[in-house]
Amino acid sequence: MAFVVPKETFSGKVFEVEIGTGPKAVKIGGENTLPFLSFEGALPNKPVVACEVQDVPPEDWPETLREAYKDVSSDPVGWARHCQDAMGAQAVALRLISTHPDRQNRTPEEAAKTVSDVLAAIDVPLVILGSNHAEKDAQVLKAACEAAKGRNCLIGKAQEANYKTIVATAMAAGHKIIAMSDLDVNLSKQLNILITQMGFEKDRIVTDPMSSALGYGIEYTYSVMERIRGACLMQNDATMSPPLINDIGMYVWKVKETIAPESDLPDWGPVAERAIGWETTTAMGLLMAGSDMLIMRHPKAIATVRMMIDDLA
Amino acid sequence: MALSGVEIFKHLPKTNCKKCGFPTCLAFAMKLAAKQASLDLCPDASEEAKAFLGAASEPPIRAITIGAGEKALKVGEETVLFRHEKKFINPCGFALLIKDTDADIEARAKSVAASEIERVGQKLRVELVAVQNESGDPGKFADAVKKVTENAPNAGIILISTDTAALESALGGLAGKKPLIYAATAENADKMVAIAKAAGASLVVKADGLDALSGLTEKIAAAGFKDMVLDPGARKSKDMVEQYTQIRRAAVKKSLKPLGYPVISFAVDKDPYVELSLAAVGIAKYASIIVVSDISRWKTLAMMALRQNVYTDPQVPMQVGQNVYKVGDAKAESPLMITTNFSLTYFIVLGEVENSKVPAWLAVMETEGLSVLTSWAAGKFTAAKIAQYIQESGVEKNVSHKELIIPGYVAVLSGALEEKLPGWKITVGPREANALPAFLKNKSAAA
Amino acid sequence: MLIIGERINVITKTQRLAMQNRDKGPIQQMAKDEVKCGAGMLDINIGPAEDKGDELMDWIVKTVQEVAHVPLCLDTTNPLAMEAGLKAHDNTWGRAMINSASGEEERLNMMMPLAGKYGSLIIGLTLNKQGIPALAEDRCAIAAEIMGKAAECGVPMEDIYLDPLIMPVPFSQEKSLESIRAIRLFREMNDPPMKTVVGLSNISNGAPKELRPLLNRVYTALLMYEGLDSAIIDPLEKEMTDVIKTVDVLLGKTLYAHSYLEM
Repeated sequence: MAFVVPKETFSGKVFEVEIGTGPKAVKIGGENTLPFLSFEGALPNKPVVACEVQDVPPEDWPETLREAYKDVSSDPVGWARHCQDAMGAQAVALRLISTHPDRQNRTPEEAAKTVSDVLAAIDVPLVILGSNHAEKDAQVLKAACEAAKGRNCLIGKAQEANYKTIVATAMAAGHKIIAMSDLDVNLSKQLNILITQMGFEKDRIVTDPMSSALGYGIEYTYSVMERIRGACLMQNDATMSPPLINDIGMYVWKVKETIAPESDLPDWGPVAERAIGWETTTAMGLLMAGSDMLIMRHPKAIATVRMMIDDLA
Repeated sequence: MALSGVEIFKHLPKTNCKKCGFPTCLAFAMKLAAKQASLDLCPDASEEAKAFLGAASEPPIRAITIGAGEKALKVGEETVLFRHEKKFINPCGFALLIKDTDADIEARAKSVAASEIERVGQKLRVELVAVQNESGDPGKFADAVKKVTENAPNAGIILISTDTAALESALGGLAGKKPLIYAATAENADKMVAIAKAAGASLVVKADGLDALSGLTEKIAAAGFKDMVLDPGARKSKDMVEQYTQIRRAAVKKSLKPLGYPVISFAVDKDPYVELSLAAVGIAKYASIIVVSDISRWKTLAMMALRQNVYTDPQVPMQVGQNVYKVGDAKAESPLMITTNFSLTYFIVLGEVENSKVPAWLAVMETEGLSVLTSWAAGKFTAAKIAQYIQESGVEKNVSHKELIIPGYVAVLSGALEEKLPGWKITVGPREANALPAFLKNKSAAA
Repeated sequence: MLIIGERINVITKTQRLAMQNRDKGPIQQMAKDEVKCGAGMLDINIGPAEDKGDELMDWIVKTVQEVAHVPLCLDTTNPLAMEAGLKAHDNTWGRAMINSASGEEERLNMMMPLAGKYGSLIIGLTLNKQGIPALAEDRCAIAAEIMGKAAECGVPMEDIYLDPLIMPVPFSQEKSLESIRAIRLFREMNDPPMKTVVGLSNISNGAPKELRPLLNRVYTALLMYEGLDSAIIDPLEKEMTDVIKTVDVLLGKTLYAHSYLEM
C-alpha cells in the first residue's frame, strides 16, 4: 500500500485581523488549516506574543516575575518602552488593573491618560485590557477607545454583560475587539452573533475562549479552542472564524506552581525555573490548540515561546 | 475505522451468485460494511478477502507494552485526532536518555526512580529509561543497563544500539522485561527483527519520510513481526506536528495499517525550556513515548501536568478526595469554608485562599466531581447533605467556633442549613473565588 | 446543508418571460433574494431550450453571477447549452454543477465528459431507461455505473452528487421511504461518503396546497438525518429554511447559539 500524504481541505478559513498602525502593525489569523500544518494549507501569519504591562506597579505578582521587571515596572510608560525596545516585543498589552473597584478604583479618565501616555511612547501595536470587572470595564474601555482613536488597538474584553458599550465605542474609534465567553463554544458563538448584529464586522473580532493555567483547567480551554477552530474550518461557520487569543499571564502567575518556594515543596524544584516552565508549557499547549495570539508576562517564557513559534510556523 | 462497501466489494468474487442471500456482491459488501452480515456467508470468499476483513477489525494503532509487572507502560490503541471526540486512551510515557558514557549513570537512574509525584489523586512518574550505546563497547553498554535496572527497577528500558554484540550483551540482563529496541532501518531490519523476536522485545522502526517508513513496517509485518514503534525522524517542532499528525490521520482515518503503530519522539535540546516545549508538542500531538535528556523536577512537574490534562476523559470531571484541608497555619479560630470536590473548583478556591494569606480550613465535600452550581442543581450539594457531611466529618474538633462559610452561589441554602446544623452560624461567602482574598482579609480584620 | 435555490426556472411565468425577453430585472432580483435567504448555490433551469439554448445559457449565467456571488447549478438537457453555461461560469465562488447526468446511457455519455472537461460538479440521477428503480439497492447499482463512468472521464468521486429521485407521496407512498434509505446507502458506497442531492418539492406533488409545505419540511428533516448534503428547494420559504437550520444544529453540523435562526 503506497503512502499518500493525508491532506485535508477545509471549506472554512480563519479571518485575518490586523492590529496597530504603521510599519510595526501585526496581522494574526488567516490560516486555512489546523495549527501549523503547512503541508496542506496556508499559514500567512505566525502567532504573535504580546508582553503584558500594568498601569500600577505589580505588587501582587510573584517574586520571580517582579524580579524580571524590577527596574521598569514602577511606571507603565517606561515599562511599555522596555518591552518594545529591550525585549523586542511584537506588541504590548496594557492591563488597566488599577481601575478595578477592589484595587485603586481609578477613573476612566485616569485610565485614558495612561493609555495616551503609553501610545505616545511606543509604536508597536497596543492591546488595551480592562480590569475584568464587567461593569467598570464598560466605562474604562469606552474612555480608552476614545483616547486611542486612530491607533487600531485591540480592546478587551467584551463580554455578554458589557459588550454593547465597548463594541459601540470600538466601532466609532476604529479598533478591534476581544470577545470573551466562559469556556463555552455555544456562548462564544452567540456573543459573536450579538456583536455582529450591532454592525461590528465579523472580521474585526478576536475570540478569547477564556484561558486557564496548566494544571488548572487548561484542557477545557484547549478543547473549546479545538472545537471553535473545527467549526470554522470544517463547518465554514463565519461566526466561529475570528482568530483566537489567550491571555495566559493572569492565570498562570497566581497558581501555587509559580509562587511556592522550593523550601516549601522540595519535590517541585526551584521556583524561578518552575514558574517560567509553567507559563511556557501553558503557551505551548494552547498554540497546539490554535492560539493566534498570546498575552504573556515573563521575558524568558516569551523568548522561548517566540523561538518555538518561529520553528513551527 | 469502518471500511466502505466499495472497498470491501473489491475483495469479493463479483459473480453475483446470490449464495450469500443478497442479490449482488455490491449489496453483500454494503451489508458487510454495516456489520450486518458476516463474510462466512460467501462460500467463494478468498483467503485474501478474509485476511483483509480480519485486519480491519483491529484497533487502528497497535498496543505496545514496555516493561513488565504492575508498572509496565502500555501505549497505542488510539482512535481519534481530537480529545473532545473521544478521550485519548493510553497516556504517553516519558523516558530519560542516559548515555553509557555518562559519569553519573547511577544518580540519573535513581532520579527516575524518585520521579513520582501525586497530582489530583493520580500518581505520575517518568516511566522509562533510554540507554544509548554511545561508547560502542558491548561491555560498557551492558554495564550501564545493569546500573539502570538496579537503580530504577520499575522503569521500562529502551536500548539504543544497532550493534548485535552490544544488544545481546545488554539483553542478557533483561529477560522477561519487554524492552524496546532502537532501531531497525532498511539496512538492518532483518537482523534487528531477529534480535527483537528472540528477546521478546518491541522494536522501533526508523526511516526517512513516511513513504519509506510505511514500506519498511509493511515488510517487517509481512515477515510476522508486529510489535513496532515508529520514529519518523522529527526532531524539530514543525516536523513533529506535521509528521505525527499525518501518521495519526493515516492510521485512524485512512486505516493505513503500516502506520498504525505508536510514535516515539525525541524532545532533546540543550536549552531546558526548549526541551520542555518540544515535549509539550509531543504530548499534545500524538506521541506515545517522549524521550528527554534531563528530568529536573521543575520540568517534569510541567510535563506530567500537561500529560494529565490532555489525557483526561472530557466526560468525567477530575475529582479530589473528600477531606477537611488545612490551608496555611490554620488554627482553631481560623475560618471554616466548604466547597465541592470538582478538582478545578478545589484548585481555584484553594489558590485564592492561599493568596489571601489568611490561614483557613477548607472542607471539600464529595459531589461526584461536580462544581458548586452544577452539584446544587443535581441535588448533590443540598442543605441536608452539607449538614450531614459537617456532622460526620468531625470538623468540629478542628475549630473553636461554629461558623461555616458557604459559597456565594448557594446563598439560598443558608436558612435551611442553619436549621439542619443547630448551633452553627452560616455565613455566605463570595460568589466568585477571586473575591475570596478580600473577603477573608476583611473577616480576619473584623475578628 | 447546501441549499440550492430553485426559483429561477422556465416553469415560473415571470422567469420564463424574462428569459425569453432577455430581461435581467426579475432574474437578478430573484437571484439576490434567494442568496439573501441562504441559498449557497442557484439552480438555473432553462428547460430543453432547443432554440438558441446556448446563447440563453451564456446570457443567464452571466446575468445571475453579476449580482449573486455563488456557484450555479446548470439545469438543462441541451448539451450545447450546458457546455455554454460551463464556459461562461465564473468559478471564483465555487465550481458549477451539471444538472444532470443519469444512469441512462445516452445522457450519461453526454454529460459526464463535460464534467471531466470543465472540472465541474455533477448531479447523477439514479434512474435509467427502465425508469426509477423500486428498491434503494437497485438505485445503488445505477449509482455504481455513474461512478464508473465518472472514473473513466476523470471526474473525482467527491464531485458527484447522487440523486435517488423522489416520488410523490400521494401516488407512491411506499417509495418515500426508499429514497430516504437510498441516501444512506449512497453515502456508504465510498470513503469519503458519496455526496447526495434531491429535488425536494416532488414529495408533495399532487397533495393539497396547504399540505405541501408541511410534507416538504418534514421529509427534508428525515433526509437530512440520513446525511443529505444538498437540496434543490425554494429558499424564500422561511419555514423550510428554519427547519433546515434547526436540523443542522440538532445533528451537530452547525454550532448552536441562541440566535442560530438569524444566521
